[in-house]
Amino acid sequence: MKYKTRLKSFATALSFVSLMTVGGAIKASAEDVVLHMAVPDWPPTRIMKDMFDREYKPASGNKVTLDVDFIPWPDFYTRVNASLTSGEKKYNMAVSDSQWLGAFIEGGYFRKINDLIDADPDLKKAMDGMHPKILNAYSTYPNSTANYYGFPQFPDILVSYARKDIFCNDEEQKNFKAKYNKKLPCTGEEFDDVDWELFGNIGEFFMRKKGDMLAGKPADDDFYGVGFQVGKGYDFSTSSVNSFIWQAGGDIWDETKAPDGHAEGQVNSDVAVKALDHMLSFIKYMPPVAKTGTMDIFKTDELFRAGKIALNVDWVGLGEASLDPKTSQVADKLVFGMAPGTRGADGKLNRTSQIGGQPFVLTTWNTDIINKEAVGFVKWWLSKDVQTEYASKGGQSAIKDVYSDPKYSTYRPWNRTWASSLDYQKDMWHVPQFYDLLTQQQDQYDLAITGKQDAKTTLDNVAKYQENLLKEAGLIK
Amino acid sequence: MTTTAIQTPPTAFTTLALDNWKLAIAGGLGVSISACLAMPATSSFWVVAVMMALVAVTFVVNAFRRHYYGGLLVSPAIAVLFVMNIFPLLWSLGLSFFSYQSNQQAIRFVGLANYSKLLTDDLKAPELWANLTNTAMFTVLTVSVQMVIGFLLAVLFAKQFPLRRYLLILVLTPMMLSVVAVGVFFSYYYDPTFGVISQIIKAWTGEQFILFSSKAGAVAGIVFADAWMWSPFVMLLVLAGLVSVPTYLYEAAAIDRVGSWRRFWTITFPYIRGLLMLALLFRTIEAFKMADLIILLTKGGNDTMTISYHVIRIANEQNKTSEGAALSYLLLFVVIVLTNLYLYIANRRSQGN
Repeated sequence: MKYKTRLKSFATALSFVSLMTVGGAIKASAEDVVLHMAVPDWPPTRIMKDMFDREYKPASGNKVTLDVDFIPWPDFYTRVNASLTSGEKKYNMAVSDSQWLGAFIEGGYFRKINDLIDADPDLKKAMDGMHPKILNAYSTYPNSTANYYGFPQFPDILVSYARKDIFCNDEEQKNFKAKYNKKLPCTGEEFDDVDWELFGNIGEFFMRKKGDMLAGKPADDDFYGVGFQVGKGYDFSTSSVNSFIWQAGGDIWDETKAPDGHAEGQVNSDVAVKALDHMLSFIKYMPPVAKTGTMDIFKTDELFRAGKIALNVDWVGLGEASLDPKTSQVADKLVFGMAPGTRGADGKLNRTSQIGGQPFVLTTWNTDIINKEAVGFVKWWLSKDVQTEYASKGGQSAIKDVYSDPKYSTYRPWNRTWASSLDYQKDMWHVPQFYDLLTQQQDQYDLAITGKQDAKTTLDNVAKYQENLLKEAGLIK
Repeated sequence: MTTTAIQTPPTAFTTLALDNWKLAIAGGLGVSISACLAMPATSSFWVVAVMMALVAVTFVVNAFRRHYYGGLLVSPAIAVLFVMNIFPLLWSLGLSFFSYQSNQQAIRFVGLANYSKLLTDDLKAPELWANLTNTAMFTVLTVSVQMVIGFLLAVLFAKQFPLRRYLLILVLTPMMLSVVAVGVFFSYYYDPTFGVISQIIKAWTGEQFILFSSKAGAVAGIVFADAWMWSPFVMLLVLAGLVSVPTYLYEAAAIDRVGSWRRFWTITFPYIRGLLMLALLFRTIEAFKMADLIILLTKGGNDTMTISYHVIRIANEQNKTSEGAALSYLLLFVVIVLTNLYLYIANRRSQGN
């Protein structure tokens, strides 16, 4: 009896232990994985997080959580930079502006992803299906080489935001024709064909004082012709100046031509000086805040939504607020077109433009399991269905299969311009010294924008500084 | 509390004892220097830290054995000060002699090159000088405006009048607001399209008023915002002085038919002078460090860049850690000179009286 009892208790204990072991094994095979990610706080990242929480089922069977730090845009660079350089190793993934790549790759923070792409046919297919201009801008370091670091999170381009109620008004159409002998654009397709000359005409034409007639009614406040970013913060004036210089046939310092390509002579070439002067000539048609050097992408968007500007050029990423009647006084009066370009002798528009948007990257300290889950998340994110759903909710996609679907242009009114604009996108430098190059340039452009310095002196100062800095850094001979 | 230190003979230098701090310093220095020379930085850092902890332990044991309780009581404060303040200060001093960027792994000793570059480079030196000039201008303007307004407000609130208490709370409110809130508030206040100043001026002239279109306007805007926020601080200090003046002195002066100006100079001013000097010192220190309002209002545009903003940009945004450290030490030197000058003048005045 005693023996039996012992045997019984031994068997019970054994079954308990095996139960625990099996349970433990199950638990071990389904791990809790948390992906910590730093992102800017705006709709394109909020939509991503929302979609992840509701829809993402990892193929591995692990429980994957996306822990996102939503950081306000004005602090985004400072916060991410501080986190990475402090060595706290807090983030496994981060949204990064494309021009940060060099600085953070050289610092050893952003992980090269070529091996991950090569090891995964699905991921390779997704990357191959991406528009090459986007891939170059968001992934490569050194710029435009086959060394990949980033996956697109939200690709972005500049588009024209216009007031249909004003542009399509018969009276305004008639007066514009009489004054400039040109047709005032009214439809999206007509806005696609706006060059900078017509843009200037529009700017001049729609400068109205309070009480002046505007689209058949007296204007309730001063009204301004045009708007685009010319602010001192971050890269706001640089983004505009770059586009003007590229379209005029000039160039900024081109890192792909290093070490022989110099800054002096190129940055301050006659073409570049003329292009900067051309850009500055539109400031007089903008709301007066432009003259203070604080007209950034948010200010020009705010002024447009408050009904103060006829034609605004801004990022697609800020577009949602203009369509929402709660945040926009012009929500029901909008028409969108491609951003203006420079017309060549052949009559075609050169639309080369500074690219916006951001990739997201993996950090170098991730463990294998984190990398595996991060790649799983990226594959899900770049899959056709998910990208299509993202676009339908206000995001954008750089995957050809997604944006070439005819339905894509119906998701948002500016999507009509998306596919054709992508070919013209170009990025600024990816070198580690980018912030140094950028801040000095922004300071100099600010002096030109606020009328304290002419274009020639401005670009001479920029060129001299860049030549010196890049030589010291060993990037040019 | 009184403590009695026990007079025991000091431990011999060569004795291996936990209270032999002299030996601990000598040994710690030797081990630290050898570790720095022989080991990689990531390991030698910890060796140095352990040696420092050992020295600290010998100090504590020594104090405990000799009943230096006063010293023991302040030791936690000294430890915190050392870890949080003095150590980073020395560390950054060291960094200023190297070529190091926080986003790059390489580090190289360059001696005084960072300092000489900042002071003599034909691109960097004029920028440094311009930013220092701007900082001096902001310091003089903001502090003078705050001293005058704060003083006048204090004189006003020293008197009794209806609703005084409620108005006092209202006047003190700006000081309690976050600088970010004040910056955003004033950026709208000055905005040519949405701002109230522009709208009022436009009602007269018909033209929108662009305050930030010139350097003078931008400076005026920043000085006004800073004065709006910090004049109440000066007022609070001066008010404390004003209410402490005994009323019998005024009564005696009234009997002697002393004029109001003389009454102010001979009775009121001596009571508030110390507090005015204190307000001047606090506000000057703060004004010298001004960066937040400028970042929020102009981003340094219109030639309103200050030296603090310049340091933030170099050290934090451009990641040029060593150059930022060198610049900070140049600033520290300026601050030390100015503070000593201030203390010298303040002492001479108090001795003169």
